[in-house]
Amino acid sequence: MNAIAMSRHGALRRCGVAPADPAAWNRLGRILLASEELCLAGAAFAEASALVPQALDIALLAVEVATTAGTLPDTLVRLADRCAADPFNVAAHTARGVVLQRLGRHDEALDAFEVASALAPDAPLPARLLGGVMARSNRLREAEAALRHAHGLEPDNADIANDLATVLMRMHRHAEARAILLRLLERSRESVTVLCNLATATTCVGLQEEAVALAEEAIRLDPDAVLPWRTLCSSLPYLDGASGERLLAAARGCAERLPRALHPSWSGLTRPPRANGMKVVGSSPTMTLKIGLLSGSLRSHPVGWLTVAGFEALDPDEFRLICFGRDAGGGDPIAARFRAIARQWIDTDGLSDAALAARAREIGVDILIDLGGYGDSSRMLACAYRMAPVQIKWVGMQNHSTGLAEMDFFIGDRWETPPEFAHLYSERLLCLPDGYVCYSPPPYAPDVAPLPALSNGFITFGCFNNLAKITLRVIQVWADILHRIPDARLVLKTHQFSDADTAARVRGRFAAAGIDPERIALRGSSRHRDFMAEYNDIDIALDPFPYSSGLTTCEALWMGVPTVVYAGEIFAARHSLSHMCNAGLADWVAYDTETYTALAVAKASGMAALAALRARLRAQVKASPLTDAPRFGTNLAAALRFAWKACISA
Amino acid sequence: MEVVHATATPLALVQRVSALIDAGRAGAAGPLLAAARQIVAPSPELSLLAARLAESQGDPGLARAELDVAIEAAPDHAGLWKQRAALCQRLGDFDRAARDAAEAVCLDPADPDAKALLGSAMLSLGRPAEAWACLAEACAAVPTNAAFREALAIATEANGDPEAALGTLMEGLSPKGGALNLRNAAILFCIRHRAFQKAVALAEDGRIAGTVDACLFGLKGHAQSSLGLHTEAADSYAEALKLGPDDPYVRHLVQASGLLPGAKRAPPDYLRTVFDGYADRFDSHLIALGYQIPGAIRRIAMAYLDRHPGRPVLDLGCGTGLVGVAIGDLPVGPLTGVDVSARMLAEAGAKGIYATLEEADVQDWLDAENSQWGLILAGDVVCYFGALEALLRSVRERLAGDGWFVFSVEEHVDGESGWALLRQGRYAHSRDYLEDALGAAGFAVHALRPQVIRHEAGAPVPGFLIVAEPAALVN
Ligand SMILES: C[S@@+](CC[C@H](N)C(=O)[O-])C[C@H]1O[C@@H](n2cnc3c(N)ncnc32)[C@H](O)[C@@H]1O
Repeated sequence: MNAIAMSRHGALRRCGVAPADPAAWNRLGRILLASEELCLAGAAFAEASALVPQALDIALLAVEVATTAGTLPDTLVRLADRCAADPFNVAAHTARGVVLQRLGRHDEALDAFEVASALAPDAPLPARLLGGVMARSNRLREAEAALRHAHGLEPDNADIANDLATVLMRMHRHAEARAILLRLLERSRESVTVLCNLATATTCVGLQEEAVALAEEAIRLDPDAVLPWRTLCSSLPYLDGASGERLLAAARGCAERLPRALHPSWSGLTRPPRANGMKVVGSSPTMTLKIGLLSGSLRSHPVGWLTVAGFEALDPDEFRLICFGRDAGGGDPIAARFRAIARQWIDTDGLSDAALAARAREIGVDILIDLGGYGDSSRMLACAYRMAPVQIKWVGMQNHSTGLAEMDFFIGDRWETPPEFAHLYSERLLCLPDGYVCYSPPPYAPDVAPLPALSNGFITFGCFNNLAKITLRVIQVWADILHRIPDARLVLKTHQFSDADTAARVRGRFAAAGIDPERIALRGSSRHRDFMAEYNDIDIALDPFPYSSGLTTCEALWMGVPTVVYAGEIFAARHSLSHMCNAGLADWVAYDTETYTALAVAKASGMAALAALRARLRAQVKASPLTDAPRFGTNLAAALRFAWKACISA
Repeated sequence: MEVVHATATPLALVQRVSALIDAGRAGAAGPLLAAARQIVAPSPELSLLAARLAESQGDPGLARAELDVAIEAAPDHAGLWKQRAALCQRLGDFDRAARDAAEAVCLDPADPDAKALLGSAMLSLGRPAEAWACLAEACAAVPTNAAFREALAIATEANGDPEAALGTLMEGLSPKGGALNLRNAAILFCIRHRAFQKAVALAEDGRIAGTVDACLFGLKGHAQSSLGLHTEAADSYAEALKLGPDDPYVRHLVQASGLLPGAKRAPPDYLRTVFDGYADRFDSHLIALGYQIPGAIRRIAMAYLDRHPGRPVLDLGCGTGLVGVAIGDLPVGPLTGVDVSARMLAEAGAKGIYATLEEADVQDWLDAENSQWGLILAGDVVCYFGALEALLRSVRERLAGDGWFVFSVEEHVDGESGWALLRQGRYAHSRDYLEDALGAAGFAVHALRPQVIRHEAGAPVPGFLIVAEPAALVN
């Protein structure tokens, strides 16, 4: 008799001897579960939980059994009955929540966990589960409250701490998250997840070199895992001096680690494979195309602000849009715009990458546009499985090439991706004739105020970008500008400055560069309209580098504020270049730091010209390709057709 | 084994239930309320929670039952009466609402909520003078309550003092924004009284104050287009659509402005909104515009009915029935009218000419029918369709072999395209396109002649009047 069989026998005997001992049934259940005797394991747990209905672990093990056995719906019915009969049964409410979650019924799961944690305010698990679903439903404040509560009850639980840090990061509170993660790291440096989260938080508080080092440490810890490479890909573009080649190599490193197992449902499709391994037989160049949009950010987010107007402008008879997105929660107007134009909305939460790819194939998506990249909710793995015969990278962590062999095209424009940079991309470049995006300004943007310098008597520079983009060298160059214009001031505004320590650190860096702290104003986060209104305090915006501002430059332009730009090599280093050229302001762009500094100084010396430009800028932008949605729609449509024709004639 | 016990206090449970109901989370509040009810003695507060919960779960009957029982048990509790008054008001039982609200006012004479409830019920019962008295008191007690104020303005207008009504709304507006509903009510009020400049100014104040609301921008666009400011109106509609992308009315107008790819026809929801809002002014307005179509249709119908007297006639998009009036004295058979706007149909019904009136989209209605008609008429209706292929095919199927389809369109003068969506949300068609589309649908053109549709700003709007017959008849 082998060991398993022996322990199985022992456990069985114990149940026979002491049938009223729940621990015996529990032990038997675990053994049976381990040997995948699901039916029997279920019965054992049922015995145990009949004896101790309030046992949470047993209730959850029963859910495990049901999950493996595929009997979640029956379990759900049973648990609902139990909750109704005994409304105080925390274990039953919690288990019911887990079942609902596994069935993809997140809203109901949320309610079940809410009930459990309200009934048992001092149990950490229901609170943690509640926090998890809240976070997935984008209800971050409530997620934070629940996870903080759980963290308080069980401060040494690393998973809870990590969950809490993740939520804080999504709320742009990276310094707080970093503090939690650093404490975890003091105990052990063995967790790739913690290292990677810390790397992200570290990037976001503007410590780019440390961040890249952390990502590299994680890679050394587990060289074949995807996450550390993904983290490297999302921290490297912020690093001063990171070249296009280095980024492409990192992206390839990540892409190569994505598993490529062919999904079983390749066969049996209505459209058997041909081009790119997928079927396009019977397709014509002019047929109506199904366009899949893949992103967790189809909402008020750079992805939304920069793409929604373009998608709205596509002829719905020519292009059927199918969104593969996540629920943004109610009330987000841009999410509502995506829903209004989508023929179909597939919630990607709860779909594995393979299932997601299979779903896209079932639907028969012709062109998939990835708007997520290697970001937080990256579904690049689904792209690696191939969701469509043509796959295109556009916006959404589009900081450089994806390095992914299955990504066929990359949308750029003549400024972002001039032909001489083509070798820095693994994809084929699709150059749009104007800009590569179309900005949809918010209806609530305040009116543009007169140039503040006219009443202040001095120039106020501003940069409203996130701190990840502000490197030490950027600070040194800005300090240089401030030295050259001794009465000028600088306003920096970002979520991160709501944290006092972070603000103090940045102020210190300016002080070290010889700048009187009085000349630097650091402002924290505010609502979007107030954020826009604060441009009324700014005369000239300064672009950070190497990671230039995308949406932020568009917003500044809309508020009448031009940006002094330093265009670099990688894709992320050229956003502002594209936007300024499209707005008719090519004379605001430099290609090295000396020219950048000189340009800022020169522009600052012409107040009359600045005032005149500001007064006409919104009208100019409104008439420019940057916001001309019908014109952009025509360009985008042509690019999609081009990609399609290239695919079917391949 | 990890045993977890419920340790929440009854008070904490009840508070949680209340917070969850406020947050619209009935799914979580329900089980917790069930638990609380096992350990807390019955009380008016618990009943109120249960009633709110039932209503939020879409079961007003259960809410009503909870309140009935609770009031029986605690007849001196003003909150219970108020809650039931509000519920009855929402359910349209205004009598009961008024009586319950009056009871609440007696129990707690200082409570402005109770007075406002009573006022609203009175308003619904068509007793504006009493309503005004209650609402004025409520509003005086809480001048910042926008709902009280809006109701008071309605009562004031119902009492025949529109100027004071507008004043009431305006008093509640602050230059810093806020009071969104009040502002929209004031703008709408101005539009209804044709004070378009003032409406635009109010909307603009709201925009500057940072209001984020589709309705505000939509109303602004409406007022601007009434002032002939079409470019500005298009911008306002585009902003409205950004904030309320689900609104078919706004979407159609944005498409009409060329900012979005055009739709092939005006959506039924758009038509319903436009014509429901237009019904009571339609006849006088069109007469003022020199609307010529019914007369022109009459001349053609006369020619047809001379040869086929007594044939049933179908009037597509009959509106207020002007076509029916024009042909009513001819030897027609029973007249059927179809229209998507209930309010337009009500006007048509009042004229007493149509044997049958159907509320439906004409395309849907035709596709669901299998009747045959001798004469099918459509006066100023086809201009709400861009592509005509589907509509013509459906009409062709419903037309008798010797029947005529008589309709008007506006002329698409410039441009190579066959049809275009104009800024006002109507379509225009070219002669070539009409001939092709009719041919493709199996029609022969019996007559297609230029026809002035109406006058706009003094200038004639050119169009065509077409008589089409089944192609088989020719040869
Ligand atoms: C300008 S009125 C003309 C009414 C009437 N035929 C006349 O000549 O006085 C247009 C009418 O057509 C109706 N209408 C327009 N499109 C329609 C559709 N697709 N289905 C049903 N009714 C429609 C409108 O509701 C409106 O009452």
